[in-house]
Amino acid sequence: MNDLKCLIIFLSQFEITNAKIGQILDGIGEIKSISAFKKSKLVKNGILTGEMFKKMEDMADESLVRAYYLNLQNRGINIVTKFEENYPERLFDLDDAPYILYYMGDINLANQPSLAVVGSRKPTAYGRVVTERFVRDVAASGVVIISGLAFGIDAIAHKTCLEVGGKTIAVLGGGFDHIYPQEHHNLAMEIAEKGLIISEFRPKKTATKYSFPQRNRIIAGLSDGVLITEAGLKSGTIHTKEFALEYGKNIYAVPGNIDNINSELTNEIIKTCQAECVTKSDDVLKDYHISYASADKKEQISMFDASDDERCMINLLKNGMKSIDDLTKECNLSINVFNTCLTTLEIRGIIKRMPGGYVALS
Amino acid sequence: MFSKVLSYGLKGIEGYPIDVETDVSNGLPHFEIVGLADTAIKEAKERVRNAIKNSGLNYPIKKITINLAPADVKKEGALYDLAIAVAILACDEENEIKHEKDYVYIGELSFDGSIKKVKGVLPLLISARKLGYKKFIIPAENSHEASFISGVEIYSAGNLVEVFKFLKGEEHLPLVETCLFEDVVKKSAGGLDFSNVKGQAMAKRALEIAAAGGHNLLMIGPPGSGKSMLAKCFPTILPELTFDEALEVTKVHSVAGELDGKMGIVSMRPFRSPHHTATTVALTGGGAHSKPGEISLADHGVLFLDEFPEYTRHTIETLRQPLEDGVITVARSNATIVYPANFTLIASMNPCPCGNYGSKDKECRCSPAQISKYLSKLSGPIMDRIDIHIEVENVTYDQLKSDNHEESSQEIKKRVDKAREIQLNRFAKSNNYCNAKMNVAQTRKFCKLSGDCENLMRNAFEKLHLSARAHDRILKVARTIADLEGCENIEPAHIAEAISYRTLDRKYWQ
Repeated sequence: MNDLKCLIIFLSQFEITNAKIGQILDGIGEIKSISAFKKSKLVKNGILTGEMFKKMEDMADESLVRAYYLNLQNRGINIVTKFEENYPERLFDLDDAPYILYYMGDINLANQPSLAVVGSRKPTAYGRVVTERFVRDVAASGVVIISGLAFGIDAIAHKTCLEVGGKTIAVLGGGFDHIYPQEHHNLAMEIAEKGLIISEFRPKKTATKYSFPQRNRIIAGLSDGVLITEAGLKSGTIHTKEFALEYGKNIYAVPGNIDNINSELTNEIIKTCQAECVTKSDDVLKDYHISYASADKKEQISMFDASDDERCMINLLKNGMKSIDDLTKECNLSINVFNTCLTTLEIRGIIKRMPGGYVALS
Repeated sequence: MFSKVLSYGLKGIEGYPIDVETDVSNGLPHFEIVGLADTAIKEAKERVRNAIKNSGLNYPIKKITINLAPADVKKEGALYDLAIAVAILACDEENEIKHEKDYVYIGELSFDGSIKKVKGVLPLLISARKLGYKKFIIPAENSHEASFISGVEIYSAGNLVEVFKFLKGEEHLPLVETCLFEDVVKKSAGGLDFSNVKGQAMAKRALEIAAAGGHNLLMIGPPGSGKSMLAKCFPTILPELTFDEALEVTKVHSVAGELDGKMGIVSMRPFRSPHHTATTVALTGGGAHSKPGEISLADHGVLFLDEFPEYTRHTIETLRQPLEDGVITVARSNATIVYPANFTLIASMNPCPCGNYGSKDKECRCSPAQISKYLSKLSGPIMDRIDIHIEVENVTYDQLKSDNHEESSQEIKKRVDKAREIQLNRFAKSNNYCNAKMNVAQTRKFCKLSGDCENLMRNAFEKLHLSARAHDRILKVARTIADLEGCENIEPAHIAEAISYRTLDRKYWQ
């Protein structure tokens, strides 16, 4: 570990912004190390207050930083700084690119073609189906899926991607010691093993209201495009969209029911031409110069070796998701036969059951 | 002068004989009761004295001492009044009372000498009959309850004078006539019937399976989706109570003082739905006067817990033992009492605190953390004891107004009865009576899977991410489905259907 990396790790332990770290690095002089920091005239130049400098100086010990780094590495957490080779290239486009990134997993994923999939934390059944459908196709085509490990669309994107054996990146809104939400700890560990988790925050930092928008800029920055499957106007997704616009990324939005408040943002950005309206995974994949044969999918299903009852059920579901009660009636099957068909089709992965007693084609 | 008569005390739902020994001797007028009596019994001296006096009988102005033997058991309640009064009267030779030792006396006295009804007459009589006691004098108001006990002489008395004259041989007391249980059993009281529940095919089928196999069931659905209505109809498709079961249920209800005086016996399966503010003791039983709780009152019937996660966690967890063993053991410092608690649990809950999670047209206002916190109130061990969980959706206006013919409870009940019969034959040699209560060995023996079934099961676990604990539950439910169809072996279709009743094992809840 060189002196510069050591210094950056040291600086990142304090609550100071990226801009401030930049100023400090500039103000230190030619040689950038912790000992140089101690001798520097940062207070005189007005970069740091005397109080702050005193506080930092007390802790400025290179051996401590090295021990800290080693400790993190033992836990599987790695560090990459802005001045190293494997730092994700795309992040250089950001005005306030983080000087330091903590990560678990394969950092090279960050340079591969990628799509960010973001949206509501509480998706409707529609949002779930659509997210799963897009992610499955896109991930299977080799595009890395980036999201934020949050509840809802984020988690669905990660999970679906892992299910089809794709690569996924989770960007955290807090440090590694406080993976948020706690419920996704296991998911995070799985992603660390098969993909990549990154965070610009030191491990001890807890996620705050303000750290999530900051995280969203990394999601937008890391990806080639951003897909919003379902989001309301109050959703945090709006930040991701803003950053993506700023960085000039492709934005894709899936249209939703105009009466559904959970689709207000997606419909709005389609209307105002901020996002491209997408209805099938090829609409996204064409920008990656990949084609996924999803067009005939519905046809394929009917060809599936299914019983008459099952075929009838599939045909009814082609018009969209249905409640179990309606479907029973329309199928005209006795409830025990109906339930049997339901499970069989579900096991074959043709249909999906949703919370609230709904069924949809997957 | 000394006399001794018999009365009966209650411990839990079992009775035990109590000797009421009386000594009347010369000395300053005084009345003392010994033998670990509670306040209600201590106060008996006032009731007994006034009852004797106001009946125009002779109350001895002497030193009266009463002993309730066995002396080391704590006794409660006012049911010994009659025995004490008779014992005092029998001490006076002038009264010429004969044969007072032949009877067991139960009853509370009022100041005017009338005999009031007491709790727990039926369990007392049943226990006493077992021990060979043949003749009883009970309050007239309790005679309905006693009319189902055959093989003994039960006299009902309205007041103390009647008893006095009867014992002197001057008058007769009416004998309680024996009733036939079959005459009392009435068909389900109108109004509640599955034919009045529109739609909800899935829920109805699940309830049918639950009734057939004795499975516990959890319904998840938004407010107003008819969960309570479905639960209330559930007893109408359960098999009729047998006489023995009815006696057991009546015993508990009698002890709790919840018996309908006119019916005398609980002829329909009980349906208990305690509110979620119920304390743990209200549910399990116990307390200072050791009463059976709601779960015991639901014995052989249905315990319906609406808004399941709203009960305190502690209360829910106490259901573990009764759900497993069918009894609840209430241990207190002065006694350990076993109450029966063989009930089917029907629980219902919303999918989230606001109730709209998963709804197509209403927005859920809960945060994901709130939702998972709400669901996590149901611990693994409790979920392990619930075989079937289903989602109940909102009924649409069209469904509500439709004239579609819905199956009546009677039709469903026929199928349930048939499936129960198969199970009774299957478990004839064990003390089990339904599929839900199969132990591990029985599950292995009676739920053998063919190769096809095994494949299906494996696929289901891999594809649907079912949790491991679901495995045995699915087997038991599949067994019941097979029984409903009269199939000897479990077939893939049965397994597939059983899997569809495990909604909480789905990943979208986790």
